[in-house]
Amino acid sequence: METVFISNLKAFLDIAAEEMELYVPERSGERFIYNRYDSSGRKQVDFNNIRAGTSVKEFLFPVRELASVTPGRFEPDELRPFAVFGLQQCDIRSMSILDKVFIEEEFEDRLYTARRKKMFIISTDCTEPGESCFCNLFDGRGFVESGFDLNVSEIKDGFIIETGSSKGKDFVDRHSELFGEVPAVLLSLRDKNRAGTQKQLEQQNAELRFDRTIREIVESSQEAEVYDEEAEKCIECQACTRVCPTCHCFYLYDEKRKDYFTKMKMWDSCMRYGYAAVAGGANPRKTLGDRLKHRLLHKFVYFMDRYGIEMCVGCGRCVDADAGGIDLRQVLKELSEKAKSQAYPLQGDKPAKGG
Amino acid sequence: MNRNLYQPFGCEIVDIIDESATIKSFVVVPEGDFKFETGQFVELTLPGEGEAPFTPSSSPAVTDKMEITIMKAGSVTNLLHQCTKGQKVGIRGPFGNGYPIEDFVGKEVYIVGGGVGLAPIRSLFLTLVDRIGDFKSVVCRYGVRRPEDFIYKKALFGQWQRIDGVDIKLTVDEADGEWKDNVGVVTTILSKDDVDVNSAAAVVCGPPVMMKYATLKLLEFGFSPERIYLSMEKNMSCGVGKCGHCMIGKYYVCKDGPVFTYEQIKGYPKIWD
Repeated sequence: METVFISNLKAFLDIAAEEMELYVPERSGERFIYNRYDSSGRKQVDFNNIRAGTSVKEFLFPVRELASVTPGRFEPDELRPFAVFGLQQCDIRSMSILDKVFIEEEFEDRLYTARRKKMFIISTDCTEPGESCFCNLFDGRGFVESGFDLNVSEIKDGFIIETGSSKGKDFVDRHSELFGEVPAVLLSLRDKNRAGTQKQLEQQNAELRFDRTIREIVESSQEAEVYDEEAEKCIECQACTRVCPTCHCFYLYDEKRKDYFTKMKMWDSCMRYGYAAVAGGANPRKTLGDRLKHRLLHKFVYFMDRYGIEMCVGCGRCVDADAGGIDLRQVLKELSEKAKSQAYPLQGDKPAKGG
Repeated sequence: MNRNLYQPFGCEIVDIIDESATIKSFVVVPEGDFKFETGQFVELTLPGEGEAPFTPSSSPAVTDKMEITIMKAGSVTNLLHQCTKGQKVGIRGPFGNGYPIEDFVGKEVYIVGGGVGLAPIRSLFLTLVDRIGDFKSVVCRYGVRRPEDFIYKKALFGQWQRIDGVDIKLTVDEADGEWKDNVGVVTTILSKDDVDVNSAAAVVCGPPVMMKYATLKLLEFGFSPERIYLSMEKNMSCGVGKCGHCMIGKYYVCKDGPVFTYEQIKGYPKIWD
């Protein structure tokens, strides 16, 4: 790890955009969305002190993409290298979760890895966490220590750039004329800012301190009516799963083109009625309450059992996006209360249910 | 480098056999070197229309062609039924884990099936009878709704019944004038004395409701959940444990199954729905 200083962010981004397709966050209403970087200077670059409204998965796992062609065969193209500026700790953590699913050794999804390998990650520090942010429940602290190529911290009169990989270091070395040394006083200022973010996260989520792990809370409250009650607010818009940086359900569908056929890979949502239905008509999760429960069980129990990590980073995007008003933090709080008041045994202790 | 997981390879339909009013068997020849284990499944693509999962019904020992028995149940299977000899389809797979044949060696294998569930069972049955001496016996209990719904009729009522070490009993939910055998759902022909419940391996495959009641019956007989093997049917799309549709608890049916022991999945919600 090496740190350098730059006062002019535009100069840094211009150079990056010369080497790679560069995407940057732009303010749009009360949130940030990603757009291709425009080096003409007509647009001001907004340094995002909070994660963008859309998630990083869109760069790696687009809403809809070509998966195969018939006749013949489709192997994902060699993409041009691209860079994303402004990813934050929650985004980086979500990528490590998606990696587990899509880069399993014998089942590597080359549509995903083709993009992942070409991605240059320029993360930024989160200094203004949103009201819905609760990443501190999942080891989030608002800044990254690994999983990035370069990290940018906004600081008095400029920016501290830290290298996080050999690719990142090469970039800084190649353009050493742009960068200066970081005065020690600015590094301690960065530490102070980071500590401020952590403090804010802890304060705003003080009510989310549970006496059990989230996994235990969700696993032990499967009979709770909380799911059905919460699901009454759900309008099945599926926004929660779309904005979620870790939700990765998809389906494959076939299309006729002019003189060939394709298979497309498109996002799906476990909140959708027919999601798990089979052609014979069986559907294990007909009610919204059952689907909401499955969503939480997948995130906090099943994924943990399989990969050793929760499938949630506490970014709060689902809270912001939910048209019906389901707040994951509130659901967890209610489940925690239920678990406490009814002293549910853990699932493994329960007798098997025949149906 | 791994190949693209979602790319089907070509596969020609070389013969079509009418099994019943709603079920046909398709004999297909996949391009290249295609091998599977009994109980594994494939995704069959009708180009431009869609894809659906099926467990081959032929023996894996036959490697130059493969049979897939398909019941009309939804949009893709309806279109597959309209396919003709010589037509090209696509195939991905094989996927998942099949039956643990080696674990059955030296034991009685107790097969309970219903309806089109006989398709995967046929593949298993042919695999077992190929080396019948390795198993104590193969005891098969199979039921369909009406006599005309039986599939693989010729073998089922003839050749298979004559194999030494094989014991087959059949039933129908509703009889017609010709039917002289048992009437009732498949659990009515299961008996505690069919096999030694303390050592036999039970295999259950059929419609979900039949699997549920057959499993409960086997438990009642004293089968331990570790020795009840279930072929689970769920919505499956990717086949490689990613897309999420087929989850039963932490398991992906497509990758960890489709064959599970009841012990593995009994604690999870809605396994029969």
